[in-house]
Amino acid sequence: MQLKKRPLFLYVLLLVLSFTLPVPGSAAAKKEVLSWDEAVKMSRGQTVDWYMWGGSPAVNRYVNGYLAPELKKKYGIHLRQVPVKDIAEVVSKLIVEKQAGKDSDGSVDLMWINGENFRTCKQHDLLYGPFADKLPNQQFVDWSKPTVKNDFGTPVDGMESPWGSAQMVMIYDTARTPQPPKSISALIAWIKANPGRFTYPAPPDFTGSVLVRHFFYHAAGTVDTWQGEYSAAELTKAADATYTLLNDLKSSLWRNGDTYPESPVKMNTLFADGQIDFSFSYHQGEASRNILDGLFPETVRTYVFDEGTITNTHFVAIPYNAKDTAAAMVVANFLLSPAAQLEKAVPEVWGDFPEISPHKLPVPWQEKFTGLPKGKATLSDAELQAHQLPEPPSTILIELEKGWVDHVLKNR
Amino acid sequence: MTGSSLHSTAIDAGTGRKTSLLQLSGLLGPALATVLVLFGGGLALGLLQALGYLPATGLASIGLQHFTRVLQDPDFSKSLFLTLYIAATSTLIAAVISIFLALSLMRWAADSRTVHFILQIPLTVPHLVIAISVTLLLAPAGMLSRLLSSVAIIQTPAEFPLLVNDGWGIGILTVYIWKEIPFITFMLLSVLKNMGTELLEAGATLNASRLQRFSHIILPVIAPSLGAACLIVFAFTFGAFEVPYLLGRTYPLALPVWAYKNYSDIDLLARPEGIAIGLIIAAIVIIAIFLSQIVLHFGRKRGLTI
Amino acid sequence: MRVQKWILFFSVLLSVLLPFLPLVLWSTSERWFYPGLLPQSFGLRAWTYVFGTAGDQIVTGLSSSFSLALVTTIVSLILGIPAGRALGLYDFPGKKMVSLLLILPIIVPPLSVSMGLHFWFIQLRLAETFVGVVLIHLTVCLPYTIFVIWGVFTDYNPDFEEQAQSLGASPAKIIVQVMLPMILPGITVAALFSFLLSWSQYLSTLIIGGGKLLTLPILLFSLMDSGDRPVAAAVSLVFILPAFLALMGSAYNLGRSGLQGVR
Repeated sequence: MQLKKRPLFLYVLLLVLSFTLPVPGSAAAKKEVLSWDEAVKMSRGQTVDWYMWGGSPAVNRYVNGYLAPELKKKYGIHLRQVPVKDIAEVVSKLIVEKQAGKDSDGSVDLMWINGENFRTCKQHDLLYGPFADKLPNQQFVDWSKPTVKNDFGTPVDGMESPWGSAQMVMIYDTARTPQPPKSISALIAWIKANPGRFTYPAPPDFTGSVLVRHFFYHAAGTVDTWQGEYSAAELTKAADATYTLLNDLKSSLWRNGDTYPESPVKMNTLFADGQIDFSFSYHQGEASRNILDGLFPETVRTYVFDEGTITNTHFVAIPYNAKDTAAAMVVANFLLSPAAQLEKAVPEVWGDFPEISPHKLPVPWQEKFTGLPKGKATLSDAELQAHQLPEPPSTILIELEKGWVDHVLKNR
Repeated sequence: MTGSSLHSTAIDAGTGRKTSLLQLSGLLGPALATVLVLFGGGLALGLLQALGYLPATGLASIGLQHFTRVLQDPDFSKSLFLTLYIAATSTLIAAVISIFLALSLMRWAADSRTVHFILQIPLTVPHLVIAISVTLLLAPAGMLSRLLSSVAIIQTPAEFPLLVNDGWGIGILTVYIWKEIPFITFMLLSVLKNMGTELLEAGATLNASRLQRFSHIILPVIAPSLGAACLIVFAFTFGAFEVPYLLGRTYPLALPVWAYKNYSDIDLLARPEGIAIGLIIAAIVIIAIFLSQIVLHFGRKRGLTI
Repeated sequence: MRVQKWILFFSVLLSVLLPFLPLVLWSTSERWFYPGLLPQSFGLRAWTYVFGTAGDQIVTGLSSSFSLALVTTIVSLILGIPAGRALGLYDFPGKKMVSLLLILPIIVPPLSVSMGLHFWFIQLRLAETFVGVVLIHLTVCLPYTIFVIWGVFTDYNPDFEEQAQSLGASPAKIIVQVMLPMILPGITVAALFSFLLSWSQYLSTLIIGGGKLLTLPILLFSLMDSGDRPVAAAVSLVFILPAFLALMGSAYNLGRSGLQGVR
């Protein structure tokens, strides 16, 4: 019963704290964006804390084994990878920091980002920039590409700098499934005919979410509508059709759709263990990479749907309160250098597709890119480029993710 | 409270020693201040935020809206039930096994340092690691499934029952039980050791049956420690994040997982809700402890042993 | 009796050691597809990754986890020994309430406290700092330390101190030469306790440290998602090792009383 006295303590404490706490300053004046020369000059000796999804040893290997030593050597910049589970956590942290008035000396210097997280950052003024157009290596980027100009329908406006391109590919084992279903409708039929052999990561997981968007395009019967003007009614109709479709499939999914893998890598594990017959990935070269690491059997291959698969670009951005902005800019620029992009594309390293356009490069570099060996399971550039679909705007993406949780997961 | 029941003899009997207020505040002051500021302050400031207070908005928008939104969410009762189920079941199973283990150890291996050492190992292994290991063991394609498959009991992983990320939380319970048994066992052993064997021998000479000996001699001795250990385990499993996050089902979520998910959401409104869930967890744990104290108190008054 | 002893011994041994088997096997596997009971081929890819590419991060993780746990433990002991002494030795009005307040944080999950403190820690520039994370770990470790030391002092006889005093020993000398040796086993338990608690903290470190304070649990969690089971298993083993060594070290010192009360 002594507990009754405790609130008094708390009130007193609260009172004391409320007097001692600093009042957050009003929104800080926007920082001047550095010029390239200033950035290079100031960057030497700075440390860049790069927050990124840390779940892929291949990516970690590229960042810590190649980028960090190169940056140290070339620019005297110390690159430190800060692995996180989900970059959304970092965005949420920045929002809290902004509310708390921490407008400088922030710990995040650079983050690996795109899509809805970028949109949130832009909406809340959490980004430094525009800085992308200040970077010399921008010349190699094809800015006319819609996926570079707009990130999930949000104009990039130089607030983030492209790093790599992703395209969803289906992963299958030729030893198990010699004839994979080459379209969404064929896939639906296949799932129904082979109950328990397919699943997808639960949205809002990035990869699970992209599959739901493919089903959305299929259910809506159109891709282009969502790139321009569309009415709320149209969206609701198409979204509802998507949920009906997915609910309909639920009983044919792995474990009857009672539970879902929470990440693409968990799905890869299920696939490798022979529990399911398909995996899919946002990284065109991931299957080859996993074969090299012994995680997938040698007979694994990838394919894209006849109607195409969704493509997007991943970027890096600098937060508004970053401490080492100059060095972060230099890192962003180095990421786009032909050498770094080439190394990134090597199957043994990561196998991520370059974001710079080979035809904009000097001829010797062009040859290096075209001469690059592809991984065993990786499709050719021509095959991939012939089957590309755009992302819908991120408002649709969020709508679908929330709707999936309510209507498919919780079945309301 | 858990402390007071464990050290209850000391308090109830009183040490009789007195000291000056000055010396007392010198001894207790720093620790008390630290706990008050960090712990009390944390809860109080959390409450402020859950009520909607932010320096930017001031006190203008203060209200219970975040709490009501959480409590009215149809998921709340599901999550609450799941979390209670996990905490209660793992505590109960761990306690029962621990009693047997402690008694057997006392009888057969009281002097075996090796057994004691082995039993201490789980105490040093973080929950996170053991969660990973349980996944590798019990998942549909885990080692157990591979073992069954190699002796042809099952053909495919699909035939293996779902023991991880499952509806009954088997994986979560396994981790907690493995981790908490040594904790409870050592708490029990420390009292059993002090009890010595004389009482039991006296019971034996009086022709008391095994069950009688247990309920009349052993249980009264270990009850306070057992109660305290169970309360700590219950409170911990009720508020822990890692294990249900890794081994839980996609839906429904355990309360701590739900709390953090909301807390780290990029939607600004979700954050106070996350804090509200965190405070609800704290409140439930505190209430549970109070109730158990009251039950124990009445039990003791009526001369019952537990 | 002997048979029962051996049954007891082996069932304890088996259930304790079983979870380490998949970790060891996975961390040394090169290829291990279902339904192979054992890996199809062994190799050191995971260990090369842990000590090679990720070596810097692992070392950073080890050292920040270690220094956090060490500092938290020391501060917990400095604050906790006097408080435990007061609770264990003396009667005073309001004792029940004071002890309740000091012990309550043991049962209230750190998650509730961390979320509340986070915002203000950012304003006070304590978020993402070593000190900030030590403070949040203290809310977990200090109450446990007090709890253990309190128990130690209920059996403690301060008469020896008075004798020493009458023989002319200074207060400092009394503490170092009379009190500390007598409560040393208790201090060891409390210290290990506090060390392990801090060592395995995940969520509170993540919330207050913001991922910047890269402790081993944070690193392991980010790798967990990778589905690269060999790497996750290898890092798990690295994670267990220091605490296990600490246990080995203290086992001698503690004798059979063991780590009672540690979780």
